[in-house]
Amino acid sequence: MARNDIPNRNLSQHDVSRRGFLGSAALAGAASFAANMRVLDALQTPTLAAELKRQQKSVILLWLAGGASQLETWDPKPGRITGGPFRAISTDIPSVQISELLPKMAQRMKTTAIIRSLNTRNGDHGGGTTLMETGRAKEAAVDYPDLGALIARELGRADSQVPDYVSLYSETEGRHKGGAGFLGARYAPMFLSDSMIPPNIRRLDSISETDHTDRAAFQRLLAKQFQDRHPRSVVSSHGMAYERVRGLMSSETLFDVSQEPQSARDFYGPTQFQEQCLIARRLVEAGVPFVKVARAWWDSHGQNFETHRELCADLDQGMSALLDDLGQRGLLENTLVLTFGEFGRTPQINPSLGRDHFANAWSASLSGCGIKGGAVYGKTDADGHTVVEGEAKAGDLFATIFSAVGIDPTKEYQVGARPIPIVDFGCKAIPEILA
Amino acid sequence: MLRQFCWMLMVMVVMHRCADFAELLSAELLPAELLPAETPVDQAIDHYIQLQLDTKQKQPAAMADESTLIRRTTLDLAGRIATLSEAQAYVAATETDKRSKLIERLMASPDFAFHFRNSLEGLLSDGQRNSPGDWREYLLKAIREHRPWDQMFREMMTGNEEDVAIKPALTFLRSRARDLDQLTNDTSSLFFGVNVSCAKCHDHPLVDDWKQEHYFGMSSFFQRIYLTKTNLVAEKFSGEVKYKTTKGEEKLARIMFLTGAVVEPPVVAKTPEQIKEENDAVHQQTQDDKAGPPPKPDFSPRAKLVELALQADQNHFFARNAVNRIWALYFGRGLVHPLDQMHSENPASHPELLDWLSRDLVAHQYDLQRLIRGIVSSQAYGRSSVWDSAGDPPGPEQFGLALVRPLSSRQYSLSLRLASLNPETMTATSSPEWVNRRDEFERNSDDLANQFEVPGENFQISVDEALLFNNSARMWDEFVRDDGGMLIGSLKQKADQSAQIETAFWAILGRAAQPVERSACEDFLTQKAANPVLGLRQFVWSLLASPELRFNH
Repeated sequence: MARNDIPNRNLSQHDVSRRGFLGSAALAGAASFAANMRVLDALQTPTLAAELKRQQKSVILLWLAGGASQLETWDPKPGRITGGPFRAISTDIPSVQISELLPKMAQRMKTTAIIRSLNTRNGDHGGGTTLMETGRAKEAAVDYPDLGALIARELGRADSQVPDYVSLYSETEGRHKGGAGFLGARYAPMFLSDSMIPPNIRRLDSISETDHTDRAAFQRLLAKQFQDRHPRSVVSSHGMAYERVRGLMSSETLFDVSQEPQSARDFYGPTQFQEQCLIARRLVEAGVPFVKVARAWWDSHGQNFETHRELCADLDQGMSALLDDLGQRGLLENTLVLTFGEFGRTPQINPSLGRDHFANAWSASLSGCGIKGGAVYGKTDADGHTVVEGEAKAGDLFATIFSAVGIDPTKEYQVGARPIPIVDFGCKAIPEILA
Repeated sequence: MLRQFCWMLMVMVVMHRCADFAELLSAELLPAELLPAETPVDQAIDHYIQLQLDTKQKQPAAMADESTLIRRTTLDLAGRIATLSEAQAYVAATETDKRSKLIERLMASPDFAFHFRNSLEGLLSDGQRNSPGDWREYLLKAIREHRPWDQMFREMMTGNEEDVAIKPALTFLRSRARDLDQLTNDTSSLFFGVNVSCAKCHDHPLVDDWKQEHYFGMSSFFQRIYLTKTNLVAEKFSGEVKYKTTKGEEKLARIMFLTGAVVEPPVVAKTPEQIKEENDAVHQQTQDDKAGPPPKPDFSPRAKLVELALQADQNHFFARNAVNRIWALYFGRGLVHPLDQMHSENPASHPELLDWLSRDLVAHQYDLQRLIRGIVSSQAYGRSSVWDSAGDPPGPEQFGLALVRPLSSRQYSLSLRLASLNPETMTATSSPEWVNRRDEFERNSDDLANQFEVPGENFQISVDEALLFNNSARMWDEFVRDDGGMLIGSLKQKADQSAQIETAFWAILGRAAQPVERSACEDFLTQKAANPVLGLRQFVWSLLASPELRFNH
């Protein structure tokens, strides 16, 4: 696609069009952005890389589907009757200990903050998922967007040639799609549920590259007649969607881990989750504002300890590799990495050696952009039954997330007759974990 | 002393007026000011629309050209684009009454019932897809029988589960019975045009009409509804809604309609044994799947809702909402906008017109099809959507310029299919066999329809749709297949490029190509002369993927 076919609308006064940038880099590199991602080499150029870093913030949500146990991760209670067999270990922050099941993360608490005092009250998979996806309880009259859609809307670029919101599935569960709600389909996730390649992103074998381009150009030409007769109407979204196709098709390569050297792949590890963490890094590096990587199935009603031993090992390796890699590439200061699920797990251990759903005192972690590394907010009692200090709601977590990436948590959208704040009523950011 | 007395008197008067406020507000406007009842519906519409345009000194757009008019009317009444034969025949016809003949043909066609059913289904399921088959069948049958809207409402709210024909009507309640808030909000919004959800936690901050009392008052009509173990809709013998005010005061809700009219449950003395028997019977229903038909209490709040809502001095919510929602189906915007904000702070753009149409609807037994006929026959409906006059166009609330509206997922799916077929196989849309073909199209369109966004407030075309068209095997292999039964097959048979271009434009966009377009198409096809079939497929694809097909303009 020739460079002058790329539209350059919606430039805001305050930020430089990212593509405009890469456009000039692309000219220098003699390759058009849409055709391939070789222009990422431009990131090696210090000044361009620095400028990009300043602009683009991203969020990676490592979604622990099914509800991970806070006692086997961020808030262990060793020696207590609810503590289970695993110990707590020291971390690179003197006063902080986490579960021995996350040894690598224990060495990376300098970039990570923990909230131990979530009390979200909803221990139901459906309700808890909605609550933790959107930051508020379901309401009959309003279709709330999920975190990814909100971030895509606030941090994404209108003319972006990469997706704004990518959601990567997991083998067993975690396929819940979420949605953009009242923000509209523009912010719906690119949802990979069956394969590592987004649906309909690849050109069919039965049509050549030239034919595909020619056809698109002809469609655009004919479409223009109609669009010109109907300015200022819903028609423009049609053109905008079609304009993004070529760019999105070329972003297919972002999902292809074989593009990375073997050393990078080994650094993350071979499991699907670890590969998806690597893909997440590739996506945020290319400017995707929100990536969700789901790992399932943490819902350990039975065999809680074996389950967590296995899942935590996967999480520990994937997450620490991701943080290291982002750090090495200078991306961590602009990327917020989150872990949480729909709820935590009961301190009481049931007869199947399991823990059940529990939303009264559980944990989430936040790393990177805008976060005060090493901070621990909130306390639970000695056995982990209740929050004794710093109770936080889902909305408080969301307000904190927004603040960390530079979005005003008091912002409101106008939906019909009703002003809808992006954060649920009565919720605020937690300053203790913000940088 | 006198001042204090006067002050008290004033306060009492104000309080009295506030208490009656909702009732005063909802009182009917005097009919003396409206056009006579015998005025044809379309003339009444045009009278009031023109009156306001004159008052605001705004010119409406010109009338839409004929290809646009038949396309729009066919999409709105039949749920599909016009076929090539239909479109060409209409444009060529010379009778002066061809427009009214078109409307009659379409409203009598089997397409009408299918499409209106889809529209009602969309309305009542509030955007959810794929409702149960028996519910869809119920709606189809009701429309075919011209069943009045008040009767349908009655069936949806209080239908007898034991009546096989009516049972599916209860889907409205059944799918919401587990969520009292959703049931309250949806009923209030979809049948009365009032979204009271804001008033759940506090009196509405902006609108004096809606207090917590109203929210919980409406909720009280539904509070006793429960689902039995066998998923039947049933009602308990007792139950009240409690709520907390912003001051923390706990209150018991009265059963109260939006007009402020209160329903007092009858006071019936029951012995503790009787009460226990009743509660046990209800409890058994929720546990035992062999329990037999659920008990029917003498007092049914939801039956009272229907009775009250349709009562002569209370039915303005029901009637006005029906008019408003039907109006919005054909104009893309209600007379009251948004559709669920019918209150004193949000008056209709044309209050007298809304009143006249509501009065007309009630006087004609809530016959929605009569209203529809009147709307699509009006001049206002037939305006162009293109503004090429000097100065600013009239605002959308003036209805002087047609709005561009996205097709519904089913309209789009059906239209894509029709547009991709050989036009010579699509000439018999008025024949008796057409109903079977149309039924088949309906059933086969579900899958594709699910790929498209449901039109709503913040509608945008998603990039998924663009990717679907560009890269899915289905769009390429199915819709632009080189096959005698397909449009491509027909174009291949045409003698020259000019005929190919004309046929494609008429079949897909329902009009002749403009000279500029014609030459662009000729250039394109000539470029592809080395592989003419491929060229034709790409050409047809580009038209199928056009925004012009995607929208109702």
